[in-house]
Amino acid sequence: MMLAYVRLEIRRTLRDTGFVIVGIATPLLMYVLFTNIGASDSAKDSMDYARYSMIGMAAYGALGAALAVGPGVAEDKARGWLRQLRVTPLSPFQVVVGRALTAGVTVLPAIVSVFAAGALVNGVRLAAWQWAAAAGLMWLGTVPFTLLGLGNGYGFSAQTTGVVSMASMMGLSVIGGLWFPVDAFPHWLASISRWTPTARFGDLGWSVLAHHGPGAGTLSVLALWLVLFAGYAVFSYRRSARTV
Amino acid sequence: MTEAARFRAVGKRFGAVQALRGLDLGIAAGETLALLGRNGAGKSTTIALLLGLDRPDDGEVELFGGVPEAAVRAGRVGAMLQEGQPVPRATVKELVSFVASTYPRPLPWREALELAGIGELAERRADRLSGGQAQRLRFALAVAGGPELLVLDEPTAALDVEARRAFWRSMRAYAGRGNTVLFSTHYLEEADGNADRIVVLDQGRTVADGTGEAIKRAVGATLVAFDLAGGSTRGLRGLPGVLALEVRGDRAVLRSSDSDATVLALAAAGLVRGLSVTPASLEDAFLTLTAHDSAGADARTDASAGAGTGAGTGTGATPDPAQSYEEAAR
Ligand SMILES: Nc1ncnc2c1ncn2[C@@H]1O[C@H](COP(=O)(O)OP(=O)(O)O)[C@@H](O)[C@H]1O
Ligand SMILES: [Mg+2]
Repeated sequence: MMLAYVRLEIRRTLRDTGFVIVGIATPLLMYVLFTNIGASDSAKDSMDYARYSMIGMAAYGALGAALAVGPGVAEDKARGWLRQLRVTPLSPFQVVVGRALTAGVTVLPAIVSVFAAGALVNGVRLAAWQWAAAAGLMWLGTVPFTLLGLGNGYGFSAQTTGVVSMASMMGLSVIGGLWFPVDAFPHWLASISRWTPTARFGDLGWSVLAHHGPGAGTLSVLALWLVLFAGYAVFSYRRSARTV
Repeated sequence: MTEAARFRAVGKRFGAVQALRGLDLGIAAGETLALLGRNGAGKSTTIALLLGLDRPDDGEVELFGGVPEAAVRAGRVGAMLQEGQPVPRATVKELVSFVASTYPRPLPWREALELAGIGELAERRADRLSGGQAQRLRFALAVAGGPELLVLDEPTAALDVEARRAFWRSMRAYAGRGNTVLFSTHYLEEADGNADRIVVLDQGRTVADGTGEAIKRAVGATLVAFDLAGGSTRGLRGLPGVLALEVRGDRAVLRSSDSDATVLALAAAGLVRGLSVTPASLEDAFLTLTAHDSAGADARTDASAGAGTGAGTGTGATPDPAQSYEEAAR
């Protein structure tokens, strides 16, 4: 019965124009535009950027898709749907897990479509294992952001959640170097960037491109954020349980 | 008769507001019970506690012999809550069949839609329904799981007269299958026309409990009015049969359970100018039970005392509601 819930939520998410724009169309469009306009010094530079940005934009889209769970939950809360679900046999815990699983599916289009554009439009060539490892690791890497989204959704009103999600998405993307390489940042910003969950999320893919895979630093920073966001989600969820 | 639910001395507080005060209430399996009360009487609070959406501060609530959550998890309950708008980006059919799928013995989704009278709206997006259609979708969601107990919190609030009639037909059809129904309303007409038994709730406690007939009898079905002509109302409440007193303009309006005795007493006192004796409407009767303003405090106590003799529970030492129900039913 939780699967029926996940199925319903996936449909509802994919019908959401806002979601399709933020979670699929924008990253795809930005990727194709950023990598094809503006003169580059050499073919090698532009291929480097096409590869770097492919990961960056896939991460940006997946981040948007994962955070979109927040406004979705907040809206259902505001409309009394979460309360309605509480009088069905579905438990509130199954509902929150169902939402997380839904995000596990709805983050995929962003990753897959930007990767496809990389291969088909920009001619990025990777070994088969690299495609699979980059996509798989980035897919797993969305979990902390889904938890952040759940925390926002259960914690705030529908309107506030929208603003908070948008702000965290933009801020984390830029500071995390998903839009522009961190090399271009001033020193102080670059050192902050290393601690963001998004920079490390991107590194899951970039490290695969560099043939070695994520190091201990990336994994531990991500684990830290995972714990932090999980705590935030649990806190918001518990607090809302009293009012939903 | 077996019991579907039972409230035992249930109290519930929200900050300074005491929403329920020692509520005792039993719901028999298979009956249709109306929870009647004006806004703020505690109907939604009672329903939230019954469904396990909230916990009582005092006393206990039992649903199908266990805690409410267990009955809800077991799929024995369906509910239409007071607040709630349809969620966007899903069709009527998707929502109803999803909710049905969470129950062990659901109705086929088409049957739930037919029962709610929205069979032709299956493919419509839920957020594109009119107010009345949305209300019926919420009814379809409540019955989709084929629950033994159906709970409806002010289900006709947004409906016009025609839609109301259709709604109550649907409700009775569902009740007619042997299910238990609890609904809340602030119209005595609706309660009287659609329930086997009415529990009148006021300020968080039951002030009457019985059939519609018994309640009407208990609250005094007659209004005796006369011109005060500047005279005082002193002593009028103490006259035989008088349950409540109201002053409208220069007329004193007495609600009486025994109009003959009241009229004789008035005649003896020489208070017969413009005397009229009229039957009270159901809404008048209900207002008497739940009046708080002007003559309010007294009227309420009087009405409860009256209700105690005929139909049910008074204030203070509250008799067992199930027992008073049987009394009223005789
Ligand atoms: N969540 C809440 N917070 C504060 N007060 C509440 C809350 N829910 C109900 N109340 C108060 O409790 C009383 C009973 O409310 P309610 O059960 O909703 O009445 P009804 O459904 O009969 O209109 C009212 O005075 C209402 O203002
Ligand atoms: Mg209410």
